[in-house]
Amino acid sequence: MVQENVVEKEKEMAQKGFEPRILGFFCHWCCYAAADSAGVSRYQYPPNVRVIRVMCTGRIDTRFILEAFRCGADGVFTGG
Amino acid sequence: MAETCKQFLADCGINPDRLSLEWASAAEAPRFVELITGYVNSIKEKGELGSADDEAGEATIRRRLKAAVVAAQARKPRTALGNLSKRLHKEGDFSKDAISEGVSSKILPALRAERIKEELLLVLKEGEKDLDELSSALSAAKEELEKPLAQLQRKGVVEEKEGRFQLAEK
Amino acid sequence: MCTMYCPRPVVDTYNERLDITRAPHIDYAQAIPSSYYIDAKACLRVNYQTCNLCAQTCTAGAIDFTQKPKELELEVGAVVLAPGFGRVDEKVLEKFGYGRFPDVLTSFEFERLTCASGPTEGHIVRISDQKTPKKIAFLQCIGSRDETCGNGYCSSVCCMYAIKEASVAKEHEPDLDISIFFMDVRTMGKGFDDARRRAQEKYGINVIRARVPRVDQVDGKLALTWTTGDGEHHSALFDMVVLSVGLESPKDADIISKVADIELNQYNFCRTSVDAPLVSSRQGVLVAGAFQGPKDIPESVTQASGAAAIASELLADARNTQTITVTYPDEDKALEEEEPRIGVFVCHCGVNIAGVVDVKAVRDYAGTLPGVVLYEDTLYSCSQDALKSIAEKIKENRLNRVVISACSPRTHEPLFQETLRSIGLNPALVEMANIRDQCAWVHAQEPEKATEKAKDLVRMAVAKARLLSPLEQPTVDVTPSALVIGGGAAGMSAALSIADQGYKVTLVEKNRQLGGNLKRLTWTLDGQDAAKVLKDMVKKVKGHKNIEILTNAEVESVSGYVGNFTSTVSQGGKTKMINHGVIVLATGGREYKPKGYAYGDSNRVLTQLELEEKLARGKGFLRNAKNVVMIQCVGSRGDDMTHCSRLCCTQAVKNALKLKEVKPDINIYVFYRDMRTYGFYEDLYREARKAGVKFIRYTPDRKPEVIKQSRGIKVRAFDELIGEDIEIPANLVVLSTGIAPGDNEELSKIIKAPLTSDGFFLEAHAKLRPVEVAVDGVYLCGLAHGPKSLEESVAQAKAAAAKATIPLAKGKVAVAPIVSKVNQDICIGCGICESLCPFSAITLQKVGKRKKAQTITASCKGCGICAAHCPTIAISMGGFTDEAIMAQIHAFSPDGCEEA
Repeated sequence: MVQENVVEKEKEMAQKGFEPRILGFFCHWCCYAAADSAGVSRYQYPPNVRVIRVMCTGRIDTRFILEAFRCGADGVFTGG
Repeated sequence: MAETCKQFLADCGINPDRLSLEWASAAEAPRFVELITGYVNSIKEKGELGSADDEAGEATIRRRLKAAVVAAQARKPRTALGNLSKRLHKEGDFSKDAISEGVSSKILPALRAERIKEELLLVLKEGEKDLDELSSALSAAKEELEKPLAQLQRKGVVEEKEGRFQLAEK
Repeated sequence: MCTMYCPRPVVDTYNERLDITRAPHIDYAQAIPSSYYIDAKACLRVNYQTCNLCAQTCTAGAIDFTQKPKELELEVGAVVLAPGFGRVDEKVLEKFGYGRFPDVLTSFEFERLTCASGPTEGHIVRISDQKTPKKIAFLQCIGSRDETCGNGYCSSVCCMYAIKEASVAKEHEPDLDISIFFMDVRTMGKGFDDARRRAQEKYGINVIRARVPRVDQVDGKLALTWTTGDGEHHSALFDMVVLSVGLESPKDADIISKVADIELNQYNFCRTSVDAPLVSSRQGVLVAGAFQGPKDIPESVTQASGAAAIASELLADARNTQTITVTYPDEDKALEEEEPRIGVFVCHCGVNIAGVVDVKAVRDYAGTLPGVVLYEDTLYSCSQDALKSIAEKIKENRLNRVVISACSPRTHEPLFQETLRSIGLNPALVEMANIRDQCAWVHAQEPEKATEKAKDLVRMAVAKARLLSPLEQPTVDVTPSALVIGGGAAGMSAALSIADQGYKVTLVEKNRQLGGNLKRLTWTLDGQDAAKVLKDMVKKVKGHKNIEILTNAEVESVSGYVGNFTSTVSQGGKTKMINHGVIVLATGGREYKPKGYAYGDSNRVLTQLELEEKLARGKGFLRNAKNVVMIQCVGSRGDDMTHCSRLCCTQAVKNALKLKEVKPDINIYVFYRDMRTYGFYEDLYREARKAGVKFIRYTPDRKPEVIKQSRGIKVRAFDELIGEDIEIPANLVVLSTGIAPGDNEELSKIIKAPLTSDGFFLEAHAKLRPVEVAVDGVYLCGLAHGPKSLEESVAQAKAAAAKATIPLAKGKVAVAPIVSKVNQDICIGCGICESLCPFSAITLQKVGKRKKAQTITASCKGCGICAAHCPTIAISMGGFTDEAIMAQIHAFSPDGCEEA
């Protein structure tokens, strides 16, 4: 039964095309700047990431990561 | 920080690779695009939170995260994190092994203890349970639960009746 | 309003006559000054004393027909001429069908067509039938490299702009078939060759090396015929032809020359010399930009700063005698403390955002968010009038938090902070949602998902905005001196300029002597004696009271920040501490050491610099020489290094002419890929061809080979024209080796200044900040930035000096208020923060009986390591509080996420 459910769910996801919700914490000086520069160069990448800018990845508290998952993130990307 | 999170995520029944820590300098837009694309695809493969092979079910994960956030706020594990960072900094040893070993021996136990204490309350909120049920709900050994349960009883938050635990009525 | 009511249509000259506007108008939304003006030639009131509608409808009463021209007399210490460039005469364009065939456009017109805010909103259409063309041809060198129209020089910018326009067109219409007809592809600017390669690969733009002599029209299509290098004739029909017109001297150059009493060169541009590229023939009259010679934006901006430096040198004594201090209204503290009243402004950025994201939907969505009392969309939020209107709306609606949903806070936050400040709100009360650089631009193919993302980002920004609080604006004093690293031509020029502007300079050179690569040069590109230029420069530097020279010295570490750097320099085993306010990087580059081509195996194979050194010693070595072969792009353009070294072509031509001068009967063969003798250097190239120097093109897959024989050497290469290999017995082979970056990696780490993939230092912005580095207070010039000529190095050094003296002259720098703050009631004095802070910006101090942490505001960079590691969560970060970040995380969830 459980097995079937899983199979069912997988099918469903494959049909829908699972779009994960991802939260990004980007360092102002590095990754955030790289992301801006990717924009200027018009490089294209998947639109799944929502970004919170921090001045440095050192700012990121364990709580932030856990809270992000608790609030529905399927992944958290921290970029220094 | 990242290592702590990863180990703690695994402890909560979440695939630790859902957290990624990468570096891209301001000059590395192409690298950034590569990283972010690769990462999004890896999460697509894993599926929704709680659906990867090695993960606990979604409801369990949600409950655990709730407890975990509180745990990460507690002073004991935070002091452990601070002290470990301080020590590594002083020794100048930032090797993966040193960090990983430090986290698993110093920080994770503190975080786990706090998380279990919180999660006990959340589980008991749903209804009374005996030690076996608690052990399976929390994926923790019974011995691990004894100390926090005793503490909670002493505080008068939890009551025990004939081997079944429940929240004290206020 | 005035534009709306004006009955008089006029052609829109800003849009290259492709559109219609009215007599009162503004050229474009971001025009400066951002006010409307009346075209006096068309205005009915001005010409016929009738109408007056605009004056009556202008609610601001800003139209006054009684105004008369006024003559002003200004007393100044220096004059900078920056009149820009003139257009190529339409007569020159006529032979290419311009004016006769509607679908022959100039590149200026095509640029307007590709522009989102242009007459067709970025749609590329034929003028004749308003249909989208399928095949477009770009013809290069229209009015450039063409003696028949008097413009013998190369306009330097057209190759790159044609490739850009073609790329933009392809992005808009992916099915377009675009061919560009070049004589040589001259993309010698920094990073340009990479851009060209990408355009060719990504967009499939056809590069055809041929000059098209004329354009004909056949059945509404445009017929071109051309001959390629292999002697074959081709012809094809195109739907549209774009003429890449060159840059001329300004039409009124003669008048300027008379008024300013300066000399012009043979092409009517301002005459300057290699060692003083920004100085006209008249003392105190300076020049910048295309009037000095055709050039692109980065170089023009660089020259402009350079001219400002020289003006500042001349005016050093008068500094701060006529300053006006900007004042701001007092902060409305009461309003700031009220419940959040948030205004959200969603920017279209022309079509940059609105072309992908549904801006109106995002705006309306913002209106549903808690705390939002005003939500609007704006065409260009950063334009002067939009900023003014935002300021008014903030006041009208008594907003105390503002969310700008537009581009990146990295580039534009200061602008909006300033707007808040100007109306008495603390600048920390604005938050930006980056829906352009990190949304519309990078998800162009997925408009729905991009719109969803934009909504999420706005929701998160609003959540943070609710929790923003006013922050103090601390400033710190500046150490009024500079550290210049590198004692070559660039470093010395920068040091001299800063010193002449009245500030102390420490000049650090790692070698025993000053001079860098200039020491090895024999002649400058304009034929001056390089040794003399060097000697003069060294003399000035050594004799300057404001310059301290440290040779045999290297910078070991740099700490601090703009205004207050402390560096350690090691010199002969001893280390020295230096305090300074700014840094100029002028570490130079080096001659690329060739691999292959029998270099090192035969003493008949030299580099261009080695040839110059030999020539300088006398012509004896040429006694029996009959054939000299020069090979271009050795090491450059994908040979070993990817970049184009920019000046080897001109250097080769210069040396070929020198050889011809000392030995007229010598045969010289130059094997090249594209001759990049840009600007006025084209004259040398033509001269060399006239003198009989043979130029033979090769392609990278068929490079010339240098073959060592028992007696002498020969060069074998493929000759495209005859279609087979040729062999030349050579008495001398001269390799045009490129310019390799110096050992920049170490310094890059010390200063945290990024390098390009080629190993040169990366500027903060190629066009807007060409001599600044991403690190505040660090500036860049010379070969450290990329290959360039002596002339360009000197101009850039002046520019770096101009930028470097800005913080020195201000005397104070503002510290970003994003510093950490300790709540000492909660702090337990554990000292974890103190030991982890990478900037030593937090220390334990005795407060009462216990030790408590305290932030040193001037040193704090706001990284937040202390906050993330505080056991009791006693430290908060300005602008990035735990509460604010947590609120953003909660808002990340579309249905909200209750507190744990």
